[in-house]
Amino acid sequence: MVVEMHGVEKRYGDVQALAGVDLSVAAGELVGFLGPNGAGKTTSIRVMLGLTSPTAGEARLFGGAPDRREARGRVGVMLQESGVPTTLRVRELVALFGRYYPYALPVKEVLARAGLEDKAHALVSTLSGGQRQRLYFALAIVGDPDLLFLDEPTVALDVEGRRAFWQQVVGFAELGKTVLFTTHHLSEADAVARRLVVIDKGRIIAEGTPSEVKRRVADRTVRFRSDLPASALAARPGVQRVDLEPGGLLAVYTSEPERLLRELFAQGAELRDLTVTDADLEAAFVALTRREGVAA
Amino acid sequence: MTGPASVAQRPDGRRLSASARPGGGAWGLWLAQTRAEFASSLRAPDFVIGVVAIPVMLFLMFGPPNARWSLPEGTRISAMMMPGFGAFGILSLVLFAFGVEIAQERGKGWLRLMRATPAPAWVYLGGKLAMSVLYAAVTLVVLFAVAAAFAQVRLSPQQWLQVGGVLLAGGVALAPIGFALGFLARPRAASTIGNLVFLPLSFASGFFFPLSQLPPFLRDLAPYLPTYHYGRLIWSSFAPAADITAYTGIEPVGALASVAWLVGTFVVFSLLSVWAYRRDRRRDEG
Repeated sequence: MVVEMHGVEKRYGDVQALAGVDLSVAAGELVGFLGPNGAGKTTSIRVMLGLTSPTAGEARLFGGAPDRREARGRVGVMLQESGVPTTLRVRELVALFGRYYPYALPVKEVLARAGLEDKAHALVSTLSGGQRQRLYFALAIVGDPDLLFLDEPTVALDVEGRRAFWQQVVGFAELGKTVLFTTHHLSEADAVARRLVVIDKGRIIAEGTPSEVKRRVADRTVRFRSDLPASALAARPGVQRVDLEPGGLLAVYTSEPERLLRELFAQGAELRDLTVTDADLEAAFVALTRREGVAA
Repeated sequence: MTGPASVAQRPDGRRLSASARPGGGAWGLWLAQTRAEFASSLRAPDFVIGVVAIPVMLFLMFGPPNARWSLPEGTRISAMMMPGFGAFGILSLVLFAFGVEIAQERGKGWLRLMRATPAPAWVYLGGKLAMSVLYAAVTLVVLFAVAAAFAQVRLSPQQWLQVGGVLLAGGVALAPIGFALGFLARPRAASTIGNLVFLPLSFASGFFFPLSQLPPFLRDLAPYLPTYHYGRLIWSSFAPAADITAYTGIEPVGALASVAWLVGTFVVFSLLSVWAYRRDRRRDEG
């Protein structure tokens, strides 16, 4: 196993950031860590990297303590809020970072992989947010790591940037290398990861292939006004949860909005002010954690 | 973006790309870090000016006018002032290139990213130290040249080397003060603290003006400052003891005592730095 976590708990004062996480990642896996802000994604990564030690339980990296040098030499990371010296040129910084690792890829190759060839001689201070994010990716791969940790890697990227970025990550995984990333975009995790781990309130609440997880997560919200009782809607296939929102709107969280509406219309139900939206992840997780709940 | 090349898996599980090359070892790493620090600092003109130009400029203002006065044993006042401004410049490197820079890089998360790599912590400090010694050497060469050309400072080759060597070695002994500041101070407060320490320490150690010309309480305070002993050792490297006593207005304590002060400072602040570094890492770990 490349990464192992056994009953990992982490407390910061009164806050329980991780409440018993068990996880194994095998070599070559491409795993997405999905959860709302504050769910424990970043803390999990930090424990796996040995940047923070668990309050209880154990984390192992390449079969040993995560903070030993041998393990660090095989890992590349993109952390949130990592500043780099801005008075260095891109090429200089990548070359220096490569020195930190037992093996390094040629700077030219790294910049090509990260899409920064034309910025090789630019000062880091002149890079845009998206370019800087690609620089962080370059720093993460320059040591030719076996395992790549990416913590919210696409935050500063536009749509095209995201697409190109994930293409690189997938290419990296195809080398037989292991990738573990966090995101709070369900669609992103769905498109990229071979395996999803959904975490909320410091616990893993769902795990499986993207399609398995999606079946359990209501990713659409159908809203309308109707005389239909909430309890009748909650019993329908694919429906995770029904809320009666202020203003009299019924909010139905479901993974199969088309089927729900087809059946309702077939029965002649009268729906007013109908909208179908992507559920935000918070709502989807509420649905997942309290699936039996019917709030009124 | 181009596609990655092929990867071979080794028996130990390591999957290396065909183009991956082994690193250059500790020595190469240190050199690379030093080179990067140097290149980086050269692009911050305010840093270069602050470190190299200000001590030289200040000496040019105060040194030449004092070249006509000599101490009882014949040492010119300007010759005593020259290493004073050198020590002032090196102290500014200690407090700003180490203290303030480290605190700010801590604040920006650069150290956090470095901690996730296999690079040992000494590489970071070692690079800064080497860069600072280089800057200090450049500053001293310029300062000495200016002193010889415009302030009638005449020393034998051996004396020039001695005063330069003591200035540099003493600066390395004081370096942990900067490391401790860098890891103790909050990133935003570091610059203020650095300035608060810098000028009073320079005055009270007699780097600017002879302590004999300053208020008496400074003469009472000076022997308890490591920087005063730094200055004392620097002056001892070329001037007779009687001249140093006349210049500072303080009776000599003996070179061994001053060396002990610097060694003690090095040890105490090194320990403090290690403690502060670990505390910072623990906080970062949460």
